[in-house]
Amino acid sequence: MSANLLEIRDLVIEFDTPTGRRRVVDGVTLELAEGEVLGILGESGSGKTMTTLSVLGLVAGRPGIVGGEIRLHDGTSTHALLEALPTVLRRRDDGPVRKDDRRWQRLVHRRMRPLWGRVATAVFQNPRQSLDPLMSIGEQLTESVRVAEPTLAKTEVRRRALEWLERVHMNDPARVFASYPHELSGGMCQRAMIAIALACQPRLLIADEPTTGLDSTVRAEIVALFRELMADRRRSMLYISHDIREVLHLADRVIVMRHGRVLETASSAALRDGIGTRAEYTASLLAASGLAVGQGDAA
Amino acid sequence: MNRVTGLLLVALRRAAAGLLLLVGASFIIYVTIRSAPGDAVDAITPMGTPDDLKQKLAAEFGLDRDPLSGYVTWLGRSATGDFGESLVVAAGEPVMAVAGPAFVKTLALAGVSLLAAGLLALLGAMLLGDPSARQQWLTGPLYFGTAAPSYVVAVLFTQGMNWFVHAFVEQGGYETPVWYPIPIASDSAMPYVFAGLVLLAGDGLYMDYLNTVRAELNALRNAQFIAAVRAKGAGVVRHIARNLVVPFVSAFASRLPIVLGGAVIVEYVFTLEGAGYLLLEAARERDFPVVVGLSVLFTVTIIAVGLLADVVRAIVDPREVARGG
Amino acid sequence: MGASTGRLGLWVSGCIVALVILAGLAAPMIPYDPVADVNLDGALAPPSGDHLFGTDAQGRDVAMRLLKGTEAFFLPGLMAAALATLFGAVAGAVAGYFQGPIRSAVLGVLQLLDTLPRLVFIILVCTILNPSILLIAFVAAILFIPANATVIRRKVEALASEDYILAHVAHGFRPARILVYHILWLQCRPLLIRQAMYVFGYVLFVETALAYLGDYGVQEPAPSWGNMVAQAKELFGIGAWPWLFPAVAIVITIASFLAFGNLVARRAEETR
Repeated sequence: MSANLLEIRDLVIEFDTPTGRRRVVDGVTLELAEGEVLGILGESGSGKTMTTLSVLGLVAGRPGIVGGEIRLHDGTSTHALLEALPTVLRRRDDGPVRKDDRRWQRLVHRRMRPLWGRVATAVFQNPRQSLDPLMSIGEQLTESVRVAEPTLAKTEVRRRALEWLERVHMNDPARVFASYPHELSGGMCQRAMIAIALACQPRLLIADEPTTGLDSTVRAEIVALFRELMADRRRSMLYISHDIREVLHLADRVIVMRHGRVLETASSAALRDGIGTRAEYTASLLAASGLAVGQGDAA
Repeated sequence: MNRVTGLLLVALRRAAAGLLLLVGASFIIYVTIRSAPGDAVDAITPMGTPDDLKQKLAAEFGLDRDPLSGYVTWLGRSATGDFGESLVVAAGEPVMAVAGPAFVKTLALAGVSLLAAGLLALLGAMLLGDPSARQQWLTGPLYFGTAAPSYVVAVLFTQGMNWFVHAFVEQGGYETPVWYPIPIASDSAMPYVFAGLVLLAGDGLYMDYLNTVRAELNALRNAQFIAAVRAKGAGVVRHIARNLVVPFVSAFASRLPIVLGGAVIVEYVFTLEGAGYLLLEAARERDFPVVVGLSVLFTVTIIAVGLLADVVRAIVDPREVARGG
Repeated sequence: MGASTGRLGLWVSGCIVALVILAGLAAPMIPYDPVADVNLDGALAPPSGDHLFGTDAQGRDVAMRLLKGTEAFFLPGLMAAALATLFGAVAGAVAGYFQGPIRSAVLGVLQLLDTLPRLVFIILVCTILNPSILLIAFVAAILFIPANATVIRRKVEALASEDYILAHVAHGFRPARILVYHILWLQCRPLLIRQAMYVFGYVLFVETALAYLGDYGVQEPAPSWGNMVAQAKELFGIGAWPWLFPAVAIVITIASFLAFGNLVARRAEETR
């Protein structure tokens, strides 16, 4: 594939725990094409969140990323996210050399800075904790609009922000604009968060279990919103979830992860329609959700 | 609800609560006065006070009435800033004329020291960052820093200075500085600087502040919304700074009583004629109206700063308004 | 690495705390006459075999006075710690567990006590009443109740909404039993220990500070750590032995009490 937006090769992430070093992501390789929606499916602890956070350089903890390659193409140039950091990385791999920890983080952040927002951004779970509690939704949304277009006039920025609130189907955009996160419901916070993320006009949107913690009706609404917003294929999305129905509903292709490894990759259609042979784990997931092999489209 | 009205409501409610606290605290002070054994006037005045002065005092403090109406009498006078006249320290002068200027000095000393402690704590927190191995080893010494009472710090400091000047400076043919051997009150600002430094290091003020700010800063750095702000490509400094205001101001207000207590001690050690020095002198001489007047001033300050901190919190954090309004 | 430093700190501070308690218990049983100990010929001697920590301006043995000086703050400190912890726990538990007017009333009284400037108020009390160390400790204990109550209240508030406590309520356990046994005894013990340690440290601080500031508390010739450090005022530039050791002892003792309390509470938090 020539138009790959994202390539991850042999990514390894490890963390030190009180019981010793644990490998959370163990040689993950994946590709994402322009305009594609890739679903990452896995139980908690399968490494799916860490894999995607590493794309943004937001893996916190020691030692973190210890090997592999991540490449992001922003249309004109390719960013090899981890290539510039090999010496620091190697030292981090050796053992408890923690002096470099913050220096490493600063390096990663400096490298990621031009990519955040404009190239890739994220929507996390627990929407309430993703919003700055002290700033109104409007202020936070305005910030994003300015990331995409720093030179815009003030009134125009406000108009765009209100437009985004409308696009995520907020009932009363002007009121939400002036609201603070604690005044909104969880579902509304997540809509606001989606608006804030998309207002940066990223080429890649990472949605990390965006429906976790929401009521089931609200979850359906959020999933429908994602589907609608992705319909024009102007951006790619990594959609991470442990809910096979959500993933099948949204994604073109699905990666199934378990214990830090990729079990299999398949197109959603193939999974739904039971084409080809499935790994045992995937089959059990399908069976548990009532989407047993050969049952056709149930999502 | 409109944000400004909400803020005003919070401010009003806090002000009312502050007033109530003031009445309660002054009542505690008054009851303490009345708990003196035997004849209250005898117990609180220096020996040999003439009888007419005693009677005047008893009338001023309502000692000749039952406690409650006596309290109302005293409160009525105090509310107008009239705490009677000094008996010994500045005999015959109104208490406020003596205590007021001294208190301003103490407030400035305590306030500037606390502010400096806060800013240095912020700096330290930014430099130290995440808890890691080297900071594990720092915690041991940190406890000692937390534990040294300000007067011990002051004694060690002045003795150290004394030794230093004696050992090096004098023999080099230098003039003895004005603060030698013990810094004395003069036009020089040096004694105040030293007092501020001792305040900063004493009673664990700085260490305590540093720990608080560092914990807040680390929690913020790892907060999900900061990651979200990063991910959308905006600057995080603005968000972190705004979210640090509330804990910073809370820490300031809650430590002010400790610093005011510390100021009493360092003023005594460095002979700075502020409210603390005056308080100890008046207590030693049993100049009772001055002691009571100063106690009330200290209490009023603590309540007022607490009130101010509440209002600042409400301005910065919209959730406070939601909670209080 | 983190765990081992914590353990080391716990051991070191625990040993010092035990040593101070042992000294406080043993001191009353050791005969000591401060007047007979005066030996003006051997004044201000540096540490030696005869006088482990040297002698003071009147030739009295600093080590002996340091040991006897624990008497001055030990019992008052224990009393204040017990008082402030007990009342703080009760007030905090009531304010944290119950709703409505009881909670508001308790919170109001606590806030009221919290607005009094501690040291200034103690000086005021000393001016009016006979400034005995027991009185000072008593006032300090009362002024420390709000701080203790706040700590306990936060913990109780956090626990009260936890499922297993709700389950106890659903099982029909009496509120008093849940509050006293399940919440205070089982969950808040490390916090109570920490707060008691704080109060004890504060009493030592106040005793010594007041002795330094205005000759309140234990009077010469009876020894107290406070009046030993206060000698520094007269001995500026003359000799350091009489006040240096008490000053160091004060810092180490307060530090150990704070550290021990903190580490006990932190350990309980980590192993939960």
